Amino acid sequence: MSGGGRCPDCGSAELVEDSHYSQNQLVCSDCGCVVTEGVLTTTFSDEGNLREVTYSRSTGENEQVSRSQQRGLRRVRDLCRVLQLPPTFEDTAVAYYQQAHQLAGIRTARLQKKEVLAGCCVLITCRQRNWPLTMGTICTLLYADLDVFSGTYMQIVKLLGLDVPSLCLVDLVKTYCSSFKLFEASPSVPAKYVEDKEKMLSRTLQLVELADETWLVTGRHPLPVITAATFLAWQSLRPSDRLTCSLARFCKLANVDLPYPASSRLQELLAVLLRMAEQLPWLQVLKLDKRSVVKHIGDLLQHRHMLVRKAFRDGTAEMDGQGQGQGLGDGDVGSSSLELPAGKRPASPALLLPPCMLKPPKRVCPIPPVSTVTGDEDISDSEIEQYLRTPQEIRDFQKAQAARQAAQSVPNPT
Amino acid sequence: PRSPLLSPSVPYDTAFNPQLEELSQENKDQAVIRSKHEIEENCKTQSQQTTLPLPSQLDTGLALNSSSGSSSHSHLHPADGNSAQPSPEKPHSLPLASITPMTPMAPISECSGIVPQLQNIVSTVNLACKLDLKKIALHAKNAEYNPKRFAAVIMRIREPRTTALIFSSGKMVCTGAKSEEQSRLAARKYARVVQKLGFPARFLDFTIQNMVASCDVRFPISLEGLVLTHQQFSSYEPELFPGLIYRMVKPRIVLLIFVSGKVVLTGAKKRSDIYEAFENIYPILKGFKKA
Repeated sequence: MSGGGRCPDCGSAELVEDSHYSQNQLVCSDCGCVVTEGVLTTTFSDEGNLREVTYSRSTGENEQVSRSQQRGLRRVRDLCRVLQLPPTFEDTAVAYYQQAHQLAGIRTARLQKKEVLAGCCVLITCRQRNWPLTMGTICTLLYADLDVFSGTYMQIVKLLGLDVPSLCLVDLVKTYCSSFKLFEASPSVPAKYVEDKEKMLSRTLQLVELADETWLVTGRHPLPVITAATFLAWQSLRPSDRLTCSLARFCKLANVDLPYPASSRLQELLAVLLRMAEQLPWLQVLKLDKRSVVKHIGDLLQHRHMLVRKAFRDGTAEMDGQGQGQGLGDGDVGSSSLELPAGKRPASPALLLPPCMLKPPKRVCPIPPVSTVTGDEDISDSEIEQYLRTPQEIRDFQKAQAARQAAQSVPNPT
Repeated sequence: PRSPLLSPSVPYDTAFNPQLEELSQENKDQAVIRSKHEIEENCKTQSQQTTLPLPSQLDTGLALNSSSGSSSHSHLHPADGNSAQPSPEKPHSLPLASITPMTPMAPISECSGIVPQLQNIVSTVNLACKLDLKKIALHAKNAEYNPKRFAAVIMRIREPRTTALIFSSGKMVCTGAKSEEQSRLAARKYARVVQKLGFPARFLDFTIQNMVASCDVRFPISLEGLVLTHQQFSSYEPELFPGLIYRMVKPRIVLLIFVSGKVVLTGAKKRSDIYEAFENIYPILKGFKKA
């Protein structure tokens, strides 16, 4: 009921404000006569506050969780569950994903990148809580390329300014070794290959520690070193039965993928062990090689600290005095064990350096001669003309190009 | 076998460069004159035109340092007399007074004695005229142009051995030179080629965009240790890349540090940035010599 108005038709005072769709009308409730009506159409300027705001300019993006973000968050949660991570990890990973999604560069990224981003967040969470998760595992779970993963990972660490600690080697050894299916007999694993988990773990840890001390781990992917160490540990615990088993066969038995660099890491580790063996008097006389040294790994590991100190001289100190002819040939692995008269004296210490420094350089880079170029020299015409085609050459070239075009456009006889 | 530094035929400035005794006689005179410029330009902030005459591997424990404004580095200031006393307010400067040619220098902890070698310079220049890339590719022997793959002509010259990307807007990128001067000379040669093809090419706004250098500290580096103590600058992911990526803040240079002791420095616009960055990182790396 509005005050003061009367219907022109029936004179009733019962006027009701009603809208016919979006048009405001003042209607008499008795006879239905429309007394006044609003304007159905409005001008653009009139509509100032009524105009629709595009979603990207509204705050809806911040208030709502977009569908792709929802999908991403679900992916993060699924990954955490598949990896059987503790429940707190899931919350942290989800928080990182949400944080990342605020960044403009991530919000407008392709779906592939957002998929990989879910993996990155899980990886960062695991790394920060010292949970040994490798990038290889995440990439396998996501069916993603390592290149794509690495790009997104480096970008997100930089953008979010996160401090991501290094992969914890000890934890990785424990998790990785436990995944080897060698702790119970099965149709594929004969009894002589079955090993006690604790013994294998402790020996593998010692071998990995040895590899770390002798520069075999720095700069390399950690997993192949652990594979090689596990193999050696397993072999050395029962050498008589297991020496015949190769690294590839071992991984197949244990149902673990053999990473490509593992065989090279194995050779390096054996070389280190051989050098250590030369320092033990009762092993010196045996003239061990890469196969027989496996039988004595137990002894070598027992005295590893002392043996490493004796077998290797400090490579860093040696570098300062290089070029003084101090028997650098000793750096050659295996040479001194051949030259030594048996039991006379222990081999002179080899250089303790990363393998890349022990190998001879592939090619010697010549030091470029001192350049006397000032940048303002005169440029002779003849020098420039050597790069230009003569008119005849241009004609020939154009003819050749035309001929090629013609040949390409001829349809193939079917 | 080498002539004494303080012989009358050698200008007095060489008293400041004891490692010059390592150079052969032919290079020495050139090096002496250039090192004089080096010292004079030490005070300037820009040192784009200087070239260090020293070979990359020097074990004498000294380095000609062209970085200015850094008081922790040994400063070589031109003195008036042959015997310059070490200035008391700079405890780390060279003990210049005690230099005699044949005695080895006492090693100074800051000086590395290693000079990073420039490997690549990227520069840009504006030729300031629209170019017909098809015509360039037709008339020039050393050009390749595949518009479906890339929208620029790739041209190469033999001396200095460089590659240029020439765009139809007239902008050009020159890569592959080993020094700033060589890059400039190469860019000028490309501009000349374009000129000879009939375009009114000019040579505007030549700028060095990036410089890459490498060197070898000759001892193994524990990357795990380095990433622990300098984690706000370092990124070491052995699963992805064998080297450690060190992002230095001042000067703004990225260093790739490998376990073998090889270091790659990139992101510099000036040569002095590279030298300064290396002198900054060297004491840090020395701290990680032992595993």
